[in-house]
Amino acid sequence: MLLASVDYTRPATVPEALEALASREGAAPLAGGQSLVNVLKNRVASVELLVDISRLEELRSIEASEGSLEIGACVTYDEIDRSPEIRAGHEIVSRVASHIEDQQIRNRGTIGGNCCLSDPTNNLPPLLIALGATMNIQSGSGLRQVAADEFFRGYFLTAVEPGEILRSISIPALGEGAGAGYSTLSVASDSKAIVRAAALVRGNGTIDEARVALAVVGPVPIRHSGMEEALRGGAATADAAREAAEAIGEDLEPIADAHGSTEYRRQMARVVARRAVDEAIARGGENG
Amino acid sequence: MSDAGMVHPITVTINGERYARTVQARKLLVHFIRDELALKGTHIGCDTGNCGACSIIVNGKLIKSCMMLAVQADGATIETIEGLEAEGELTPVQRAFHEHHGLQCGYCTPGMVMSATYLLRGNPDPSEEEIRRAIRGNICRCTGYVNIVRSVKAAAGAGEPAAADRAEASR
Ligand SMILES: Cc1cc2nc3c(=O)[nH]c(=O)nc-3n(C[C@H](O)[C@H](O)[C@H](O)COP(=O)(O)OP(=O)(O)OC[C@H]3O[C@@H](n4cnc5c(N)ncnc54)[C@H](O)[C@@H]3O)c2cc1C
Ligand code: FES
Ligand code: FES
Repeated sequence: MLLASVDYTRPATVPEALEALASREGAAPLAGGQSLVNVLKNRVASVELLVDISRLEELRSIEASEGSLEIGACVTYDEIDRSPEIRAGHEIVSRVASHIEDQQIRNRGTIGGNCCLSDPTNNLPPLLIALGATMNIQSGSGLRQVAADEFFRGYFLTAVEPGEILRSISIPALGEGAGAGYSTLSVASDSKAIVRAAALVRGNGTIDEARVALAVVGPVPIRHSGMEEALRGGAATADAAREAAEAIGEDLEPIADAHGSTEYRRQMARVVARRAVDEAIARGGENG
Repeated sequence: MSDAGMVHPITVTINGERYARTVQARKLLVHFIRDELALKGTHIGCDTGNCGACSIIVNGKLIKSCMMLAVQADGATIETIEGLEAEGELTPVQRAFHEHHGLQCGYCTPGMVMSATYLLRGNPDPSEEEIRRAIRGNICRCTGYVNIVRSVKAAAGAGEPAAADRAEASR
């Protein structure tokens, strides 16, 4: 396919990249290209200048300290899958990355691109919300931090403004007695997600803190505060998780499309949320 | 617009041979390889990143060449299906596909062979599940995959590393 005409530059440093992005309207960062190249083929967005950030070493490191992680925006899914540091403290992040599509996409697609695209079906956003991640956004004038909860703004829209890049993602330590879980419903293992949930549960026997994120129910992943409240202070058991999932009610008005009606998605949201919390409880138990 | 005409010099090493060319930024790597270098073994099935027929190995990593711009490959070491056999000798993976009927029409085969080659370099003794997972990004409309999985297993069982001498870039 013949792509729309576009220019290309491969800056050597982050400041040079930011300068290039600010130099021209229609400039966009190019990371793994696993979405952006198709966008150029389809000519659905007008990109005039591709600023290739994929080789910038500053965006390609994984740092772990005292259980917390900082993952550079241009680290690939495959690198996340294989990273001993990530597997050690945040096994779920490696596992979710390892389930993205196929080996070829995992060798190119990046965690930063996965988030900055803000496609509601993408795998990593709900997990980062549940884990309480912080998105580190760099502009020419400095670095600012946005909670993952606040980062996703709409279909293909995030808190990253023109002229900025997502530099890295910080994920706090899970901590003692905490566990995380993740669950997806899809028709076949390789088809688009119909609904997803990610959860973090902290507590010993009793739940002290719970975070439940639901995805593919609207333009961006959301936390379900009703279910979180129902879990908090309760027993860390599968029964309690099932009961708490009933808090997902009419308040959730999921999108309807060819993959599922609003009512079907609402019911299935309860199922995946319960499964994610069950897993989080079980893993928290191992981590006590 | 002048941008379409704007060209970038790139240098790539493909199957051991060095090529220096200029390309437009919008040129896909698969088109560069097929149309400019006339290496037609790398196929185009879908042009959307879904079928895997265009799979090649860039700097030791399996990728889909319809999902990468040629200019992004500047400086890279690339392996395509043409580079596997050496002096008329098929690799164990290629031989296994031949012997175990791992292909029918052959359209998906270059991509399948590259995916299988990549798998066996990192995991010389894969389980059936690992084989199926490794070729998940490669669609075959003919075989039903059974003989492909059998071929990859046989290649692993052949006990020879898959063109390991050519795997200079490690994973
Ligand atoms: C066949 C196929 C199947 C796929 N299946 C899945 C799947 O199952 N699950 C899934 O989650 N994804 C899937 N994807 C999408 C894939 O994961 C993409 O790689 C991902 O959405 C984008 O990552 P990227 O690094 O390739 O980004 P790119 O395509 O390079 O960029 C995507 C967007 O983000 C912007 N961007 C990228 N990095 C930054 C940054 N650091 N700062 C600011 N903006 C940035 C770009 O400007 C662009 O708008 C699939 C893609 C294909 C082709
Ligand atoms: S042609 Fe590249 S994946 Fe189908
Ligand atoms: S052999 Fe025909 S598509 Fe695979």
